Amino acid sequence: MDPLIVTQAINVVYAVSTLAVLSLGLAVIFGLLGVLNIAHGEFIMIGAYCAYTVESSGWPYLAAVPLTLAVCGILGVVVERVMIRPLYRRPFDTLVATWGLSLLLRKVAEAIFGPGFRSLAIPLPGTVRLLGTEYPIYRLLLIAVSLTVVTGLVVWFGRSRTGARIRAMVSNPELAQAQGISVRRLAAATFITGTCLGGLGGVMVAPLAPVQPFMGLDYVLRAFFVLIVGGLGSATGLLSGAVVVGGFDSVISAVSNTTNGYFAVLLLAIFFLWLRPRGIVARS
Amino acid sequence: MAIEKQGFTRRTILGTAAAGLALGAAPRLIGPAAAADKEFKIGLFIPLSGPASLFGPSSQACAELAADEINKNGGILGRPIKLIATDAGVPPAESAKSAVRLMLDDKADLFIGMHDSATREAIVSTVKGKVPYIYTPVYEGGECDFNVYSLGETPNQQARPSIGWLASEHNAKTYYLIGDDYVWPRKTNAEAKKYIAENGGSVAGEEYVPFGAPNKFEEVVTRIKSAKPDVVVITLVGGDNVNFNRTFAGFGLDKDIARLAFLLEENTLMGVGAESSGNLYSCMGYFANDPSAVNTKFKAAYQAKFGDKAPQLNTLGISCYTGVKSAHQLVTKADGTDGKKCMAASEGLTFETAAGPATMHGRQVDKAMFLADCKGTQFNVIKTFADVKSGSECKA
Repeated sequence: MDPLIVTQAINVVYAVSTLAVLSLGLAVIFGLLGVLNIAHGEFIMIGAYCAYTVESSGWPYLAAVPLTLAVCGILGVVVERVMIRPLYRRPFDTLVATWGLSLLLRKVAEAIFGPGFRSLAIPLPGTVRLLGTEYPIYRLLLIAVSLTVVTGLVVWFGRSRTGARIRAMVSNPELAQAQGISVRRLAAATFITGTCLGGLGGVMVAPLAPVQPFMGLDYVLRAFFVLIVGGLGSATGLLSGAVVVGGFDSVISAVSNTTNGYFAVLLLAIFFLWLRPRGIVARS
Repeated sequence: MAIEKQGFTRRTILGTAAAGLALGAAPRLIGPAAAADKEFKIGLFIPLSGPASLFGPSSQACAELAADEINKNGGILGRPIKLIATDAGVPPAESAKSAVRLMLDDKADLFIGMHDSATREAIVSTVKGKVPYIYTPVYEGGECDFNVYSLGETPNQQARPSIGWLASEHNAKTYYLIGDDYVWPRKTNAEAKKYIAENGGSVAGEEYVPFGAPNKFEEVVTRIKSAKPDVVVITLVGGDNVNFNRTFAGFGLDKDIARLAFLLEENTLMGVGAESSGNLYSCMGYFANDPSAVNTKFKAAYQAKFGDKAPQLNTLGISCYTGVKSAHQLVTKADGTDGKKCMAASEGLTFETAAGPATMHGRQVDKAMFLADCKGTQFNVIKTFADVKSGSECKA
């Protein structure tokens, strides 16, 4: 087959899988808790700066994972306790509060690391021959890791007891509480999982992206589009949203140009908000 | 994001309209009031918020250094310079409002701007030549409004010599043009295509990505790989520039295809990173590591004033130093800020820059240009083009 078509096809798979993993944290927080976390992109940014810190200190790249979990975990605990807990079930208020948080986190990052761009060496540089075309190894690895993380979480959410408790909390908090589920603690844990997933997404894309305090803005918008199109609160919603948004964007960018790709994504989001506001997979 | 713009209400629109009317009705009030003030007030438009705010600190620092040097020698017409830094990282209409406030409330004597062309057009149409306005950064050329002076690198200065050099030294024949979708990349590429044709080359592809959108470049890079050009001409800015170059090198194209970028300075190169900067060229009027005596002296003064926290020098920041220095010469030569006198004084005006003396012709600046290739995250000047004409001189 024409190597151009093969490469563009892999690009589509890459776009969809990275979009799914970068939207995961938002899907958990917005989809399950109903908290409109505008600061999702800033947790991705924090993950990327953790990776930068690890790399510039000469540690192995994977050390960024525990560091990010620690930083985003602690931040998640504090933010949930101080800011989010009083605002559950007030989606618009959480939007304003987390918007403020995103400004604060950006400024803190700027104060620590400066406003300039940082670059990280790609942990696995070079390209590999695949289906008759050269493709960057690290991007292929990202596809594999993204699919593993998303599938793992989806299976865990569907099968584990904790997953069942979360589903119970989401559908009826009072009843879940009456059943002996500590809703408060469970909601906090869910929120922290979301911030940590955002951070991990940042660690994954840091070697490919311009790392700077504003980088989160690039991701949060697409993540919201994924949830608008896919629908909230379910794994299939997240996946179908990522496939439709990432796929549409990438395919149209490949056959036409980037402007039309972005235009298609915006049209798609408007179309769904207008005609199908609950997304492809609406939660009952 | 839409959410961040909701502060724009009917009240603020009314406010702007009212301010605009007041300004239109009271042009005579501004001049005498300004002259009576002892300080020489310069409205300095630089990006202090938003993604371009990366260039804010160096712009402000360079302007302050120039103001200090002038104030030590008696200021402008005996009046000490006072810089009023104003955010130009906001939408153009907001900057226009700031311009009104600076003229009416602060009685600013002169404006200096380091920002994009959309903001320049908004400020120009608001100020209407009532005070001199010096526009400093790299731009597409052709700004000829009354009492406006442009200092930056034009396509004739960046694209013509560098494309000529690539054609003769690297036998480059085919070019692929990629840029952000706004006025500077499109006009620069329109000029670049002329120079490519003059050198017997051809354009293999030309495309633009939406400006300010969260762009990714896998699809673009794949298309370039399939088009196999000799050179990619890049008019992307900031994060897009970093992102594109990292993706380009990630796909392994940096080994065979040269890249020529027209807004690649020290900060952006730091983002591109050492392992993605092979076969990458930049053509600018200033590089911070220029070893000339003038720049060494300038950097020593900069270091002495700002110490270890000094913002990274770059051609955009440095343009604000040139802005203040040229303002000093312009107003001194014209003996005031009268538009007609300043316009007349600007012809043949000479002033200091960090890269040596420069001369204004047709309210644009002829200057030396440097072509550098990237060695890791450092620029390595391989060719100097002396006294390159702006190619954009204003008739009157």
